[in-house]
This record gives sequence, structure tokens and C-alpha cells, in this order.
Amino acid sequence: MSTLLVWREKLQRLYANYSIYFNKGLQLILGLLVFGLINYNVGFMETAASIYFTVGLAVICTFFPLTVMVIAATILLLVHFYTLSLSVAIVALVIFLAMYIFYFRFGTGKAWLVLVAALAFGLRIPFVLPVVFGLMGTAVWIVPAACGIVSYYMISCVKASATALSSSDSDMISGLTAFAKQVLTNQEMWIMIMIAALGILVVHLISTLAVSHAWKIASAAGAAVCVIAVSAGNIALNLHISYVITILSAVLGVAAGIVLEFLFFSVDYSGTEHIQFEDDEYYYYVTAVPKVDVSIPEKQVKHITGHQTEEQVTEREKEGSGSSETGSPAEEKASDFAMTSDIDIAKNTEEILLTRSLSKELGLDDNKNPHE
Amino acid sequence: MLDKKKIRLMTRTAIYEKKYGEQDIKISGFYKKDYASFHTWVTLIWITAGYLLAAGLFCLCCIDSLLEDLTLFKLIILAAIAVGAYLILLIVYGIGSGRYYRKRHSGAKRRVKKYYRALAKIEKLY
Repeated sequence: MSTLLVWREKLQRLYANYSIYFNKGLQLILGLLVFGLINYNVGFMETAASIYFTVGLAVICTFFPLTVMVIAATILLLVHFYTLSLSVAIVALVIFLAMYIFYFRFGTGKAWLVLVAALAFGLRIPFVLPVVFGLMGTAVWIVPAACGIVSYYMISCVKASATALSSSDSDMISGLTAFAKQVLTNQEMWIMIMIAALGILVVHLISTLAVSHAWKIASAAGAAVCVIAVSAGNIALNLHISYVITILSAVLGVAAGIVLEFLFFSVDYSGTEHIQFEDDEYYYYVTAVPKVDVSIPEKQVKHITGHQTEEQVTEREKEGSGSSETGSPAEEKASDFAMTSDIDIAKNTEEILLTRSLSKELGLDDNKNPHE
Repeated sequence: MLDKKKIRLMTRTAIYEKKYGEQDIKISGFYKKDYASFHTWVTLIWITAGYLLAAGLFCLCCIDSLLEDLTLFKLIILAAIAVGAYLILLIVYGIGSGRYYRKRHSGAKRRVKKYYRALAKIEKLY
């Protein structure tokens, strides 16, 4: 466990040093996933559905705030819908406008949560969403989650009945009615919105309770509530939500909750203190849980080879002379021999250089080497 | 010689300028009441537009059942429901947005005050 905590600390430091690259990298991945999924599912306009366009759009959106990505995803969807049918595009536009008016005017900074919510459903891990949103956010995050779910089901509706919708263009009103009906009377969508809302509320409420292992309990409870609610919905409304996906995503949700707890809420419950005191007006019952804090062990680097400064050399020499006083006679001989040989070599080079320069000046080189 | 205090102050003010500066100064130029009431009115207009859109979509969706056996009494009831829902929405959003924008104005004003204090400190350091 301590190794993991050290790794967490290292990760935090790394993130602190290179946060801009991390953020932009994550933004790029989000962009690629969102635009990729849109183009894969409803890529009716061939130009916009190409891989180059997907990557290009994701790269461009990386350099802008996340709100721009939300707007770009909305426009991309509308363009694809328009290519399929005008009535589908109009209904989608009205739904997006309603979303903007009722929520995004106030929570512009959190608009990207809609993308995350839709992505969770697109990647078939719907019940990771309530756990993550409940732990990391507040009850208000239900609104972007609901908007994301509506967007996802709108896409899946269009994907499922693209042929029928494209042929309804001849009669505009009937097309509008048909698609609006299809989207707004989708029972699975409403059930999923209710389950997500319930899950987020349960997870958020439990995670803020003053009990030990609140985050773990909250994750497990949220996942369990979602599975039970899906089963109830399947039985009561005769829906066909896959149990495999439900259970797998619930398990993944719990795993995500544990990871998030490790990263953001690492506390040592064994050191919990329950304190009670009072003042003139109140009695206080305080539970204090210490945070787990692990310091990274500092690495000590020993220089064995490499460049040495003059100071280091003189220090070494001093140490050498000091050690020669206390060293064995064999070592003393070896060091003496090394020193004398060094001095001899230095003398020889000096002599050679001197003779060369003299012979050059006196023109003796030509006499000695006539062939050169 | 680097003055750590000055660097810290200047960094803090630069971060503030980058994050909130422009918007906060704009907001703090208004009186709280003016700012909150203006934006509440704008919100109410948007909500009216949004309600019309949502109601239109709903009507489109349920047009068959709405027009089925349509009588004057049913029409009056439907209109009353529509107006009631609209009024409830207006009240909820009116109160909510009023609070939201007042809070926003207070926050901006507080931050701008801090910012000007930091600027004065920097000026003194020169």
C-alpha cells in the first residue's frame, strides 16, 4: 500500500510539473472519443465523418476551452442530422436549445460534463457515471448527466431508424412529429435518466456521511441501486436493457470509485479521533480522520565517474594524501608509482613540445625529414 | 536581487487577471441591484423562449392525443395547465437567477477589491 501511496505522490508531482500537457492530452483524447463516436454512429455526411476531419477537429478543440468542444460536438451532430433529414435536425436543434436555455446559461464551465455523460453511455459503461459524478460533484451534476443521456439516446434513435427518418422528408410535419415522439417517448431514456439521478444522489449523500469508508460504501451502494433499478425497470416496463452491460458497468463503477478514493480521498481510518466538547451555545461531536501522507524517499546520487571540478580534484587529492598517511604500504607504493608516472609523462610531453617548436623555428625539420 | 514578495504579488494578480479579471471588472461596474435585475430579466426572456420551444416540442409529440375529442372545456384546461407551468417556471427561475447573479456580483466585487489592494501594494514596492 505504501508503494502505491508513493506512486500517487510521484504522480501528483508529475502532474503539478506538467499539468498543461496532461490536461491538453486528456482533452485531445476526449475530443477523439467524442467526435469519433459521433462520426461512427451517425456519420451521414461523408466529409465530416472522415478520420482526418475527426482528428483535425479534436486537435483544434484541444487548443480551446472545453466549452468549444461541446459547441463543436453539437454542430457536428446537427450537420449529420441535417444531411439525413431536415426534420431530425430541427428537433435536435430545439432539444439542444432547450438544454442551453435551462442549464448551460448558468453552468457554462461544467458543460463538458454532458460530453462525459454521453461518452459513458456510448462506451457501454453507463453506471460508472453515477458513481463518478456522485463522488466528484454535487447533486446539481444530475442536470448535465441528464442532458448527456438525452443526447446519447437521440443519437441512438437516429442510428436505429435512419432509413425511416430519411424517407420522411417529403412530409415535414410528420417527420418532425415522428422523431420528436421517438425521442421523447423513449422509456429506456427516461428510466436511465431516473436511475442516473438516483445513483448520483445516493452516492453523493453516502459519500458525505461521517462514517468510515464512506466513499467505498457510496460506490458500492450507488452501483447496487443502479443494478436494482435497471432490473425493476426491465421487469415493470418490459425493457431490454442488457444485464451483462449493467453488471459489468456497475462493477467498473465500483472500481472507478475505489480508484477515485485512492487518488482524492486517501485517509487513515485507523487513526480516527472522536472528540466531544461544548461551548456556551452548542455541544460538538467531532470525528477527525487523519489524511494519509507519504513522503517520497529522496534519491541520493553518488558520482562515481564524470566531470570533476577543480575543487573536487583538490579535495580528492587532500583525501588521498590523508588516506596515504593511514593507508597500507602497498597502497602507498601504488599511489606513489602512479603519481611519479604522471609527473614523468607531463615532463616528457613538455620536452617533446619544446623540441618541436625549436626545430620548427630553426628549420631543422627539413634537414631531418627530407622526404616530407 | 529578486524580490520574492513582489514576484508573489505580481503572479497572483496576473493569474487573477487571466482567470477572472476582465469579467469581474465589467461586473463590478454595475450596482448589485441593477446587475442582478437586468440579468434576471434576460433570463426570464430566455426562459420564455425555452418554454415555448419545449411546449412546441411536447405539442408536436402528443398532437394526436391533444386534438382527440377536443372541446372548449378541454382547451381551457390545457391552456390553464400551460400558463400554470409557465408561471411556476418563471417564479423558480426568477428567484434562482436573482440569487445566482447577486452572488456572482458579490464574488466579483470581493475579488476586484482584493485585486486593487494587491495592485496598490505592488505600486508601493516600486
